[in-house]
Amino acid sequence: MADPSHIASRPAPGLIASNLRRMALSEHLVLWLCLVYFAVMAPFVPGFASPENLVNLFVALLPLFLVALGQTFVLITGGIDLSVTSIIALTSVVGAGVMNGHTGWLAGHPLAGLAAVLVMIALGAGIGALNGLAVTGLRMPAFIVTLTGMMFFSGLAVWFTQSKNIGNLPASFNRLGGNPWLAGAIAGIVGIFAHRMLTRSLFGRWLFATGHNARAAFISGVPVRGTTVVAYVVSGFCAALAAVLYTGQAETGSPVLGQRLLLDVIGAVVLGGTSLFGGRGRVLWTLCGVLFFKLVDNSLNLLNLSIFTITMVKGGVILFAALLDAARHRLTGRNA
Amino acid sequence: MRFLRTTALSLLVVLLVSACGKPQPAASDAGGKLTIGVAFETLQTEYWVAGFEAIRHELEARGYTMLEAVADGDANRQLEQVKNFITRKVDGIILVPKDGQTCLPMIKAANAAHIPIVLFNRPAEKSEARSVAVVADNFALTRETVAYLVGEARKTGGKHEAMILIGDLGDINAVGRRDGFQAAIEGNEPVVEVVARVPTEWSQEKAQAGVVNALQAHPGISFIFTSSDFLLPSIVSALKSTGKYHKIGEPGHVLLAGFDGDATAYAMLKDGYLDATGVQDVYFESRQAVQAIVDLRAGKSPPELILDPGFVITQANLAEKTPRMWGARVGKK
Repeated sequence: MADPSHIASRPAPGLIASNLRRMALSEHLVLWLCLVYFAVMAPFVPGFASPENLVNLFVALLPLFLVALGQTFVLITGGIDLSVTSIIALTSVVGAGVMNGHTGWLAGHPLAGLAAVLVMIALGAGIGALNGLAVTGLRMPAFIVTLTGMMFFSGLAVWFTQSKNIGNLPASFNRLGGNPWLAGAIAGIVGIFAHRMLTRSLFGRWLFATGHNARAAFISGVPVRGTTVVAYVVSGFCAALAAVLYTGQAETGSPVLGQRLLLDVIGAVVLGGTSLFGGRGRVLWTLCGVLFFKLVDNSLNLLNLSIFTITMVKGGVILFAALLDAARHRLTGRNA
Repeated sequence: MRFLRTTALSLLVVLLVSACGKPQPAASDAGGKLTIGVAFETLQTEYWVAGFEAIRHELEARGYTMLEAVADGDANRQLEQVKNFITRKVDGIILVPKDGQTCLPMIKAANAAHIPIVLFNRPAEKSEARSVAVVADNFALTRETVAYLVGEARKTGGKHEAMILIGDLGDINAVGRRDGFQAAIEGNEPVVEVVARVPTEWSQEKAQAGVVNALQAHPGISFIFTSSDFLLPSIVSALKSTGKYHKIGEPGHVLLAGFDGDATAYAMLKDGYLDATGVQDVYFESRQAVQAIVDLRAGKSPPELILDPGFVITQANLAEKTPRMWGARVGKK
């Protein structure tokens, strides 16, 4: 006969499942993961918790956060933007082409940096609009549109520079990427604006409605096409803004800038809780996803692990994010 | 509101942990054992792996500690890694940058932290940032290698159609090799006419496609120089597919030379398919790089550019030069 006290001390299987479900669906899951990870690793990773490293981490996190932010808008609509890395590269070299001190169109002009930033943003948003129009107007899958966009715009960046980097950028521009306060202010303002857009505006509601069920949203009067196009414009805009920070940090316009970022971007967004299936996402979740991603990357670097180990661990984190997303999708489906 | 509360609480905990963290001690201990951060842009080719291992061996031989970082071709990531080294208060940094331009913020960051920085095999663009670079004399070594190949071409008689595989022109080494090739050809136009210049951007796939196209457009090509030995497999594959891969001395042999001195080049030299290659002396470069850090820390002023003269290895001096060829050592492992 079973000992009743022993049975009573074990949590009921239903309770464990319910707790696990609550944890998986929790809005704060990734934030807690960040905290636990930081607290566990800090004593073992040399310099991990030092103020200098936290500043480095903060500066490195900002451009990735901006790209991920734009990707969040697109993922909420149920789409995907694979062209963000090529937008970063193209806007980087075009901006550098405008302002560099050697051959720049505005070389030496006091407003060259500002003009370059405006050109970069306009170009990024314009490419985003092209992507959005192709997805909605031609009814092509977002995956194909943005994949071909990635190839085309990457090639264009290499052609534009003949594979060369463009240096000698104005110091005022370089500070945008390298100065933590300036870079933080840019990312902060865009982040707050995007947060309010998603949570407090009609456009935000349209985005979620489009992602949940585009057909139902259309019948309910949501301008699905326009909403989708704007989501891609936001993605292009954010990628261009990230290019401003990345280019400023490297003090160079490079046709291969951001070439290997795509998985980091999508991995961080999905890890944060934004769904690959659309209809679910938040700016703060994306921020937490990016933070966790950078924490892992930074700590592994400081642990002096080889690139192979770091890549494998990051691959594991992305896989974990995808599994978590699938689990959340299943659970919310059941709850519905 | 709940989220904000949680965020505030989280930040508080983070700050507490940071505040409680022990101050980061200097990396070197009192015994003068240095800690050197070694940041490579990539480990994609044998040359970089050999260089990485040669530096590790050199540091271990001196009893120093090596911290390693590989940026996987991402300059911004490499900047983060260099900053990580600075955070860990290393005693010196050896850097293989992606190119001469994007490394400038890294050098400036190291300068600001008063940490000596040495660039291995790729120098920085001219700027106010202070660094020492140890590089192969790409121009002279390529010119010497190609001059040898031109001499071989002259021996066969007739006029040869030539192809060069050019590297990423954002890489100053690729530019030096292209210019060295051009300098060797100049004045020898009656013997060698360059009919194809294949831009590879250091990509095996682009090299393969470019060589196949060039061989189709110019079937008479009988003289090939590659700016790096790591592209040799692409050339061999294209030559085989067009029935032009023959040993030295056999009819139809395409004169072939490269640069680097990797394991593939060594095997092809040994098997009699490769005429010559310009060998970068990776062991000389790694020794010089570590020594430059030591000198800079001791307040000495090593030259800003330390040149590795390298050497040309050919069928004639293969036995003599093999022990100095890094590709031969790698190939034997």
